[in-house]
Amino acid sequence: MALNENPSADPAGAPASADPDKAVLKTTRRDFLKAGGMLSMSSLMGTAALMTQSGDAHAAVEWAEHFQKNYRLMTAEEKAEAKARLERRYSAEYGKQVTVDTTDAQPGVLMGYALNIRKCIGCRRCVHACVAENNQSRGKERAGEKIEWIQVLRMERGKFEAEKMNHGYPEGLGIQVGGNAYTPAGLVLEGQYHYNPEKVPEEDATYMPIACMQCEKPPCVKVCPVRTTYREPDGPVVIDYNWCIGCRMCMGACPYWARRLNVTNPVLPKEEMNPVTHYLGNRPRMRGVVEKCHWCLQRTRHGRYPACVEVCPVGARKFGNLLDPESEVSKILQRKNVFRLKAELNTFPKFFYFYD
Amino acid sequence: MKKIAIYATILAICGGGLYSVVAAEKTAEPAAAAEAPKEPLVCFESRKGASEITQREIKPGWPNVKCSPTTGAALWYGDPFEGTVPMGKMPGLENLPEGHALVKPRSEKLNILPMCGTACHNGVGPQFNPPTLPKDKKPIPIPTMEGLVPDVKDLQHGRGRIWCLDCHHTTKRNMLVDHFGDPISFDQPQLLCGKCHGDKLRDWRDGIHGKRIGEFASNGKKRWFTCTECHNPHNVQDGVRNRGFIQLQPEPSPQLPKGMANADHEKVHPIPH
Repeated sequence: MALNENPSADPAGAPASADPDKAVLKTTRRDFLKAGGMLSMSSLMGTAALMTQSGDAHAAVEWAEHFQKNYRLMTAEEKAEAKARLERRYSAEYGKQVTVDTTDAQPGVLMGYALNIRKCIGCRRCVHACVAENNQSRGKERAGEKIEWIQVLRMERGKFEAEKMNHGYPEGLGIQVGGNAYTPAGLVLEGQYHYNPEKVPEEDATYMPIACMQCEKPPCVKVCPVRTTYREPDGPVVIDYNWCIGCRMCMGACPYWARRLNVTNPVLPKEEMNPVTHYLGNRPRMRGVVEKCHWCLQRTRHGRYPACVEVCPVGARKFGNLLDPESEVSKILQRKNVFRLKAELNTFPKFFYFYD
Repeated sequence: MKKIAIYATILAICGGGLYSVVAAEKTAEPAAAAEAPKEPLVCFESRKGASEITQREIKPGWPNVKCSPTTGAALWYGDPFEGTVPMGKMPGLENLPEGHALVKPRSEKLNILPMCGTACHNGVGPQFNPPTLPKDKKPIPIPTMEGLVPDVKDLQHGRGRIWCLDCHHTTKRNMLVDHFGDPISFDQPQLLCGKCHGDKLRDWRDGIHGKRIGEFASNGKKRWFTCTECHNPHNVQDGVRNRGFIQLQPEPSPQLPKGMANADHEKVHPIPH
């Protein structure tokens, strides 16, 4: 009965009553909406203030990230803010000092890559070096939790055989159209990704590693509805993970199967996380975004070889500046037999396969 | 008295020994607890049996190398220049800035190398004066030599057209030899191999053949892998391998897609032929 004794609760008193029934009678629709709007605004702002000031770095960053622009439209200050936000969040999340680099393309550099297809022994060391460097998800329990950017394709070698000298073509159908002593390369047309012999290289196999070709005319960039993937001035095609909506248009457009979607929440153990990251490169991704090879931007922007080049035990992988005539990639283009995968699609990859 | 003294000394020794053991255990325990999960992890770099690298932390959370748990191969370099020394004079690389061409010394890995120059093969000794040099180029099997270097039993290099002293120096056996008979260090095998494999030497010098790690700019600081870090010169053409590189165990295969029990479909052609 304390309420009834309160003078402000008196219906004959002030128009703003604590009693909802009485209050509604005395307010107009406009006032009500105004009050409601103010209430929701203040509660939103309160939440924002609470979240940004809370010790939970993750929540604070998520909130700020909602109002973040596309990376290409950010000013230098906004980039610095985003960098600081992410460094705070990742450092809290992974329990070590994480740096998020925002170094831009260096002038006079156009990155190029070459791979000696005859030297590759199919050991998959590049695949796992890439995972160690680039903070991919590496879970084992559920399908889609383990993401690898490089695929090594095992292809069989074709051969001519004496015992097939007189085989007709097509076999057994009557019309002899010539010999068919050749057993085609690739008993399996699509190649094998899951080969696992005791030792490589196998006698009758060739290996072909495939990753993002960093095309000069990338089909994935053409189809991206939110323009979050684009070609950087020094060559690599990158993704602003924050703007990716996970629509997978780029995955469908890419003729080289280079892109991967984080179907699950990425599994990245703290001790295995690489703390040196780049905003457009290997910073930890979230669920529902697409990722792919970016030629280790966090390394190459500072002059270092990509991780896969450094671990290749046979030295089949070569990386350099296409604008420098003395670089190893330029020398390969001058001197060796070079081809580009699916050149007929006019994607103009900067990834070249060569052989001695 | 004498007996007592003896007993006393025995007791004292035992007691002292026991105490020292206990003390040692006490000090050892925390050290063991700290070290037990981190045994020195050594991984091989290019081929097994050649250069290796021991894992350690450069700074917190930043190892010098990450090794593959499956194969023991080096998978990731935190510091590409660890354990390297300047390459030395190399024709064709004079334009590189000083200290930008580095190699890992091979001689550290070759255990019997210090012996080679002194014990048997220096060509001087009481009964070898003047030095008794080989009379012809047909090596006589020496059991000690074959025990130390098993590769010499079946030399798989040159298809029978070369022998030991085409590459090794006659009187300085801890050195290699060039065309003029001058010694070459084991750390610079490219000067020797280039005698015959000139095309490969040229490609290696330009960065096309072989492996380099570090900075990718053409005049950048790099560690160059020398010939013998990837190729075993005594059996480069051994039977089961191909492409001049010894066979090794591959890293694990990728995860299977959802709903796929095995990858047998990859081994069958969809259209029989």
